[in-house]
Parts: sequence; structure tokens; C-alpha cells
Amino acid sequence: MPRVFITGLGFVTSIGNDAATVTRHLRELRHGFEVYPPFQQPDIPCKVAGTIKEFNTDSPDPEDWTFPARYRIKRELLRSMAPNGLYAHCALLQALEDARLTDADISNPHTGLYAASGGSPFLTHHHHDRLLKVGVMRCSPLGIVASIVGTLNFNLVAAFKIQGASCGFSSACASSAHALGYAFDDLVLGRQRRMFIVGAEDGNLDAILPFAGMRTLSLQTDPNLASRPFDVARDGFVGTGGATVLVLELEEEAARRGVRPYAEILGWGQASDGYNVAISHPEGNGSAAAMRHALQASRVAPAEIGYVNAHATSTLIGDISEARALRAVFGEAAPRLAVSSTKALTGHGLSLAGAMESAFCALALRDGFIPGNAHLRNVDPECGGLLFPRTTEDRPAGLVLKNSSGFGGANVAMVFKHVA
Amino acid sequence: MPDAVSTSSSAVKPLPTTPKPFAPEDEVSLREALKRCSPSTFEAAVQFRKTGNAEHVPAVVIGVIERFVEPDLRIRLKDADDDLRLIEDLGIDSLTMMEIVILVEDVLQMSINNEELRNLRTVGDVKTFIDCKIRGLPLPRPTRFIPIEHIGAVMPIQPPFLFLNEASVSSLAANGKYKITGQEFFLQGHFKDNPVMPASIMLEALGQLAVLYLLEGAPTEPGKMVSAQMIFFTGCEGVRAHRVCKPGDILSLSIKPKRMKMPLATFEGSIRVGQEKAVIAEEITLTYGFVEAASAPVPINGAEHLGATGAAQNAVPAPTPLRAAVTA
Repeated sequence: MPRVFITGLGFVTSIGNDAATVTRHLRELRHGFEVYPPFQQPDIPCKVAGTIKEFNTDSPDPEDWTFPARYRIKRELLRSMAPNGLYAHCALLQALEDARLTDADISNPHTGLYAASGGSPFLTHHHHDRLLKVGVMRCSPLGIVASIVGTLNFNLVAAFKIQGASCGFSSACASSAHALGYAFDDLVLGRQRRMFIVGAEDGNLDAILPFAGMRTLSLQTDPNLASRPFDVARDGFVGTGGATVLVLELEEEAARRGVRPYAEILGWGQASDGYNVAISHPEGNGSAAAMRHALQASRVAPAEIGYVNAHATSTLIGDISEARALRAVFGEAAPRLAVSSTKALTGHGLSLAGAMESAFCALALRDGFIPGNAHLRNVDPECGGLLFPRTTEDRPAGLVLKNSSGFGGANVAMVFKHVA
Repeated sequence: MPDAVSTSSSAVKPLPTTPKPFAPEDEVSLREALKRCSPSTFEAAVQFRKTGNAEHVPAVVIGVIERFVEPDLRIRLKDADDDLRLIEDLGIDSLTMMEIVILVEDVLQMSINNEELRNLRTVGDVKTFIDCKIRGLPLPRPTRFIPIEHIGAVMPIQPPFLFLNEASVSSLAANGKYKITGQEFFLQGHFKDNPVMPASIMLEALGQLAVLYLLEGAPTEPGKMVSAQMIFFTGCEGVRAHRVCKPGDILSLSIKPKRMKMPLATFEGSIRVGQEKAVIAEEITLTYGFVEAASAPVPINGAEHLGATGAAQNAVPAPTPLRAAVTA
């Protein structure tokens, strides 16, 4: 079977806007949370978010946005972007540079782009408000492509002249993991030779606050305590946005260009709970099945896995389901299985989460460390029976399993391997 | 309202027949709308909204266009003539055009129909278009490409004395091309063993382009059309030749009406070969006259099908506003 490698990464995240900073913050367990000004109103119960630094996208007019001067983006491209489009554009520029790709490598029929974001509730709101107030004929002609789900792929494919496969994925918090999985399949099947996987979210009030209606957001006011996956005192997730891009290439492409990959993708699996629109299966049945499928497809035994980057978002029910699923899949190996959720540092990136955390796994595999569990003091007994390193361990994981789960009980698991 | 098209957009405000009182809150929203335009654009917009004086419209329109043009291309708008092309010269695509229109609509409190936008190709087209909308005049005919067959069909001058291979005509100007083949009969003697296009013939070519403008682009009176049999040369001034033109050269001709008052039409004209100046004529004056139009005016949209429908239909020009040509 053809081998697939991760050869480039790009980040605009709450814990850093480049691979070096992100790596350092993963190692040092420094979170990206702040008291988020738009939440500081009496009728808004949550107060903290994983904020994006160096960027300001508060205005609905992209020409008001500020971002680091190293990114030069023409108005012609900016005008159709949502905040998540800007983050993704910058992360993709990083990833292309990181992978040392030429224009010809990027724009050809064998190079595609899969993307995932929840669209932009912020701009949807803005444009609909304007439509109702001043009439549709005075609305921006690009309001739709800036707002709807798919805005990421529309913008990036046009801006970077992508000619291969392109589409968007929509399975909520499993979206960009699905994008990664199907991109892997396209490479293995010989449909494409290189794929860009993009996850991004606005991460602003309009994107995060609706989850408070489900009572899934942490109400903690202290940024140091807000996101505590697997802790007995956890009280919900902390929202975040940003973007992450992974460059996937077939072995021969990576070899031809002489780049050193971050990691190899061995395979992936998915399964659904078939249970509830928003609540994860209490025993984590779908998640367990996804992990088993991924291990089987990768021809890896559970005991060979050195680290699991959990989906665990710090919600009461979700973390327990995943812990149960892990115990079921890993059996006797479970007590020695290093598990952590990097959402303790970043917050939950929704559609971005799968790609962002897969990229974290790639960094950990390349640099030989296992991110610890930040903010975890007392493990919830319901989540017990697993190894939760409290600090980052400087040892190579060898093989890494990455879980993602989304609304409707969609579960995805990926298996990554260290490249010698 | 004189033009039916603008009544179809019911969602937006109709043209004000008298200027509405310009309230302080209007100025605030106007300033916000034009915050990325030059201060002079804002000032012109305020003056227009206060007085309804259409003299301020071109400054507003150019200011809005400038705001949407990439910074490195904005220099082209400085001292730009009306022939500056929106797509080719300024990089404005149809979506940007829409952004320009939405802002102009907002600022000038007018409505523009999508159908009306298709024919706007140059800065001059846009200025004239907005001006006609403001004044409630019928829309001018857009710049049209006129192929050789049609030139031959409408022109009183015929080969071997016709020196236009192709032309485009708007209500503001006409441009044409002529390739010197070397087969022109007069080149046998002008000069001996050294064929050079006579300057007098080059002036003739400019005059022919002006004739085409009178027939195809010039404003007329209702029910009247310019008669091809009544156009004659009366005079020229400030003619200078800058470059020897020989077989193989492609002459790029352009004329613009300077004054039109029956029965005299005065144009300025120039010929280039590539980027090189060949001939300048400060003034070429023709005399012309009207005859009764044979049938009802052709709708403006009919101009799009010029090539297909041929000369008969287009020999009857649609009424065009006097203003469009006189301001040139």
C-alpha cells in the first residue's frame, strides 16, 4: 500500500501562530485562554475563550482587520473571507513554506484541498441583518461565499489556484478529522499525490456562545481552571478558533523533493454512535468502534500505541464516554496507555479540532515528546484506568492514536507513526 | 422616470426629483460609507446630496472606483482619460463592479439595475451612465465594436479610399485601426522606391473615423438621424506629423468630439503606431445634417447584437443624450 506522510504544517491557534511557538507551548503546557471581552456581559454566563493573538477580526468588514505584516493579502482576496478564512489563508501560507512547495507543486490536477469550518455565524448574522435593514440589493455580493459552510474551500481553492480534488466536510467537531481521513484515502487510492487539509473556525462570540445554550461551555472565570479534561471538577469546554493546515504527500513525492516528514499516517477508521443528536454514547460505543477500525486498517495492535491524543473536551459526559471507549479497546494495555487532551491548552476548536490536534501529534512525533495533561488535578474516577501524564514527557511515542468526535455521534480515529 | 429599467428594482429608493434635506445623521452615514475614499470624494458626495448638482457626480464616481482599485494601479486613475478600461487597465472584475455600484447607489441615493452594468467598459462609460441616471436622461449607447463589413455598409466613403479596418464607437469617442498594406495605389508614387503613408491621407483617416462617429455614436434629435450624404470636411487646425509611417505599420486612430453645434462638429484626433505618436490634429471640423429617421428608435439593448443583425437595423440610431457628447 502506498505510504502517506505529513510534510508541512501551519498554525494560527490560541497557543501560537507558528510551529515553533506551538511546540514550545505544548511542551511547557502553556494555555491560550483569556477572559474574552465580548463575553463580559451580565447575560452571558461563560467568560473565557482560547483567543487568537496578533490578529483582530472583530469587524465584519475584512478591510478593518489587522494581522501580522508578514502576510500580504490583497483586498480582492480578503473581501470574500470570514475570520476563519483569514486564519486558514495564513496557516496555509505557513504550511506551503514549511513543506517547501513550489507554485507548480501547489497548482496542478494531482494536488487537492479538503477543508472544514462551521462557516461564519458572525458574517451570516451581519449580512442577514443588513439584508433586512437596507434590502438585498445593497448587500455585499460576496456575503454568501464569505459566510456559508464551505467558505474555506471556496476561498482557498481560488486564492491558491488549487486544481485537484476540493470539498468541505461537515461533521461538526469531527469535520477536519474526516477531511484528513478522506484525503489519506485519496492518496492511497492514487487519486491525488498531495493534499492540503485545513481546519478553521472564527472562534468569536457568534461561533462559541450558542454552545452555552446546550449548557456545554465552562462557566469558569479563571482562565487557568476553565479547561480541565478528565478532571473531576471539569464543567464544560472552552471555545476557540484559528486554523491549522497539514500537507499530506505520497512517499515518492516527499522523497523526490527531499523533505523530512513530520510523521506517517498509517490509517484511519470511523464509526457512528447511532444514539443521540448531541450526547455521546454513554459507553463510547461509536468511538471504540472507530478506534478498532483505525487500528485494524493500520495493522497495529492496541498495545503498540504509545500515546493517545484524546478528543476529550472537558464536558461531563463526553470525557467519560471516551475513557470508557479507550478502556474497552485497550483492555489490559489501558493502565499503561498515555492519554492526554491538548484541549486543556487550546480549548475546543470545533471543526478545527481534528486537524489542529493531528498536527500536534505530528509535532510530538517529530520532536519525541508526549504532551501532558494541563490543569488535571484529580482524575474523575469514571475516567480512571488510564495513564494521564501530568507533565510533558520527553520520550518518543512511536505510534499515536488521535480521536475525534462530532454531533450525531460521528467518531473518527487516526493512527500516526514516527518517521526515523 | 424616463428609463423603464430603474423602476424594476422596487427594493431601493427611487431617484429623488428634488434633493431631500441632508440631515446631520445622513452626513455621519455618508462619512462611514466613504471612509476608505479620499476626503475630496466625501466632500463631492456631501455637495451632491445637499444641492443635487450633478457637477459633483464625476468626482464621487472616480473616488469610489479608486477605492476599489488595487493600490499599485491607482496611479492610472490620476489624470485618467475617459478611455481608461475598467477590466484591462484597472483590474476590476464583475464582482468589484458590483461593489462599486452598491457604494455609488448608497452614496448618491439612486438605484442601478444589473442589466445596465453590462455595457460599462470604461471610466467614461461609468461617468456618463451615472450622470444620465442622476439627470433622468436616457442611457447612452455603450462602446460598440464595429467590424469592417458594417463600416463599409454605413460609410459614404468606400474602398479604395476607406482607411479603417475596424472601429469602436461610444457616445464619447471613436477608436479605429488601419494597417498599411503597401498595396495602397498612392504608395506607388509616394515616394519613388520609398513607400510612405502621406500625412494628408492619415488626416483623411481621422476624418473618416469622425464620419463614423457622426453616423454611429453622435447624439441626434428625436426622430432624426445623421445623413451620410450630408457630411463634409470644413477645416483642420494644429496638425503635426511626428513619425514616418510605412507598410506594415498599424495605425491606431482615435477621435473625440470637442464641440457639436449643428451644422458643425469639431473633433480632436490622434494617431499612434504602438506607443509612438504619429499624428496629432488639434481640431478637425466636419459639417453634417439630419434627416428624418425611417422607423422607431432601436432599443439600447439592440446594440449588443450589432454584428449579427447588420446595418439595416442599426442605421437608425437610438436617441442619446446631448450631455454625454458635449462634456467630452
